[in-house]
Amino acid sequence: MAVVVDFVVREWNVWGQGMDCHENEREWSEHQTCIQAKKALIPVRVSKAVQRRLSSLARAVFNAAGACIDSNNTVPIVFSSAHGEVNKSLEMLKNMQKGEEVSPTVFSLSVHNAISGLFSIAYDYHQEITVIAPGQEGIAPAFIEAVGLLQEHHTEVLIVFYDEPLSDFYPSLPFSVNAPAICALALRISLSGSGLSLRFCRSPEHRDDGEHALQIFSFLKFLVAEDKSLVLGNHRHSWEWHKK
Amino acid sequence: MENELKQLIIDTLDLEDISVSDIDSHAALFNDGLGLDSIDALELGLAIRKKYNVKIDVEKEDVVKIFFSVSTLAEYMQAARS
Repeated sequence: MAVVVDFVVREWNVWGQGMDCHENEREWSEHQTCIQAKKALIPVRVSKAVQRRLSSLARAVFNAAGACIDSNNTVPIVFSSAHGEVNKSLEMLKNMQKGEEVSPTVFSLSVHNAISGLFSIAYDYHQEITVIAPGQEGIAPAFIEAVGLLQEHHTEVLIVFYDEPLSDFYPSLPFSVNAPAICALALRISLSGSGLSLRFCRSPEHRDDGEHALQIFSFLKFLVAEDKSLVLGNHRHSWEWHKK
Repeated sequence: MENELKQLIIDTLDLEDISVSDIDSHAALFNDGLGLDSIDALELGLAIRKKYNVKIDVEKEDVVKIFFSVSTLAEYMQAARS
């Protein structure tokens, strides 16, 4: 039986290199070629102790997600990233190769849930937090996880997608894994209420849309464009999102 | 020794806005004092081992006392190196 789920995007926010866009300023689609080097600012509420541990990717996540959480911190968060801070892991491995000892700080910040951990400390966030590494499945697993949380009993769930370009060290070809720039996209969703109503279901199509990092951009374009539907897949399962 | 350790703490832990004169030798380094945490303690232990070749054995030593302040750390270092 085909599973069809309806949900509402209550609010969304994105931070990407060279763009800073909110749902009320849907100009990004016209300026998507303007991506350029720029570092996200550190939100003012982040303490000095946490600030010094924020990578460019973490800053992007904080900017996107920080603007979408509610004031009482009641919403569970599903973070989704294909590679997380893998560039930090690479830096650590290169230092080990040189015979240097592993820095405890670099190690602690290289794990897949490092950014979510920093976020929970910085925002004093005690709700359920999940961090997904979706492999080749793209952005769909985060939606499945978030919808599962909504079905359980949560009124709203925040999904945060993020990835950064991989180091040249990793041979990415022939796979479409690499993002053109750092991007973090946060969506606060619920089963009902005002906002952008979407229908989410499996697609029978065989697709080649690239992996998670590229799918974030595809979904962002879908949010800001007039397109009624989006199909994404990466050789395995494909998924559809329809604007209702 | 105390000033040298203060500089090491600042450099190792990326305390950008803090200078040597801002650190009180007798104030607590962790939690309430400088606000450092357990990862900082590990990083500092590694930096001390690299720079001074002094290994603080967590099994045998009272690390809470040693790392309490710059002053207690300097005292331990001087004893360990002599």
